[in-house]
Amino acid sequence: MADAPSVEAIRQTLCSEIQTLLSLKPGSVTPETALPSLGIDSLRFVSLLLVIEQKFGVSLMKTGLKPADMKTVVTLADAVVAGRKA
Amino acid sequence: LSFSLPYSSKRRYLTGTDWIIGALLDAATQRGIVGLGSQAIIEVDGPLSDIMIRQTLQQISRRFPLLHGRVARDWMNLAPYWRSFRSYDGHVPPIPVRMIDLPAGADAEADRLFADHANTPLAGEEQHLRFLLVRIGRRKSRLGAVFDHRLLDGFGAECFFRLMDMTWQDRLEEIAPRIAVTEPAHLDHWGRRFSNGRKLNNRLMNLNDRELCALAAPSAGLRRRISFQLDQLTAAESARFSQLAGEEIQMPIVLPSAASRAVLAMHRAIPQTPLAGTRYLVSTSVNTRPPDQGWEKMLFNQFSFMMLHTENHAAGSPGQIALEMRDQFIEQVMENVPFKIFDSSALLRICPVSILSQLTSLMFGGRLCSIYFAFLRETGYPEQTFMGLPATNLIHTPMAFCPPSMTLSVTHFAGRANLSLTYVDGSMSDETAKELLAEFKSLLLSTPAAEPASR
Repeated sequence: MADAPSVEAIRQTLCSEIQTLLSLKPGSVTPETALPSLGIDSLRFVSLLLVIEQKFGVSLMKTGLKPADMKTVVTLADAVVAGRKA
Repeated sequence: LSFSLPYSSKRRYLTGTDWIIGALLDAATQRGIVGLGSQAIIEVDGPLSDIMIRQTLQQISRRFPLLHGRVARDWMNLAPYWRSFRSYDGHVPPIPVRMIDLPAGADAEADRLFADHANTPLAGEEQHLRFLLVRIGRRKSRLGAVFDHRLLDGFGAECFFRLMDMTWQDRLEEIAPRIAVTEPAHLDHWGRRFSNGRKLNNRLMNLNDRELCALAAPSAGLRRRISFQLDQLTAAESARFSQLAGEEIQMPIVLPSAASRAVLAMHRAIPQTPLAGTRYLVSTSVNTRPPDQGWEKMLFNQFSFMMLHTENHAAGSPGQIALEMRDQFIEQVMENVPFKIFDSSALLRICPVSILSQLTSLMFGGRLCSIYFAFLRETGYPEQTFMGLPATNLIHTPMAFCPPSMTLSVTHFAGRANLSLTYVDGSMSDETAKELLAEFKSLLLSTPAAEPASR
């Protein structure tokens, strides 16, 4: 079984995927970027959850997310890690 | 089946969504509805200058002659496109602006004027925008833009106000090159489009396996107006609803919770719909613009559709309906339904609008959906001033498509949610409409635990 990705790897992957989803330039999303400031809408948000499920095997749609989990990439990555442990 | 028919890269071909909107507008015309324009109204503190507005619009008009365009067919590939206005002597027709001064406190009279404005048809095939400026005393102005929904959608209309503001600041050329005035013809990937269309048809058939609760379509032959009821939440109330919605469905998205309240408000205000049924179907739009492409995608329709439903007998528990709709929302995103609608509806463009509009009235006995619900959380006007004056609000009185004869919408400005119910005269009484909007507002602000489990 492959090793679980580190928190840092999850953060970098999330930054990259969010940039792709929102058609942003590489480097424009960092782990500290406030996600609400990116204007991510419902449609793209669910798309992001699908990407997370595919890449990390964690269904945040089933485990649920609190608004606090969506503050930054860091908090979202923490939710992914928590979902993996659950 | 992936071959592409040739097309001109200099033209703005209409998308399938544009074509569907055109058909829905035509269906409303067939039902005698006189005003087919949606309206966005910006409110400011202070007296706006009609001269400045006219000059600003004239600059924009000269820069974008397609604002006076019309629908035509490309004779090479039969795809519809927006033929831009051609001037042979440099003259571009002005965008009409009417100005009325009212005494301070005459807000009710202003409301009536804007209702009349929305119910006055745009003149001719090449007029797609018209403005009404109402100055109420010296301290307040409202500028309403009636717009042809084939040229602008709600978000686009807000961006247009922003374009006016930028033009007033002499910054038109900073923005103008970014605004897309072309669109490919989408005459390719035939197999994929047919396949997507077939899947969507099956989905629609499944949704209509039971009869939908709906308003009766107004009888043809009578001229009918559209009416509005408006209300708003404060910034604190809007934030509270977002928080409640996030807690309710365990996700920071609000559309499913808002749509569940729309159904419930309809169920409570109109418990016995003229067309009785066992299911409510909410047709809703989803903005497909990437967040940083408001200017690029300002013109025409940049959204797709989703369909959320619930059983009539379940109506009464907002939390339960919100969870149902959340799951449907996720399932439709997973199935890529908004893209499939955009993709396959391109095929519909071969069908003339007049025929397509009749199909929308005939399909499922005219019960295409129970309610059209538009929820726009993003704003196309993030500025705090308009033409040098403090902007206090931006509201919408959208078109009531027919069917289903009413549109409930939520738009946002400066953190506040604006609520609007548009309905075709005769589809429900004004009292019922007021009750429906009041119920909707109350439901948005009530905690799920405070609601009875069923009614």
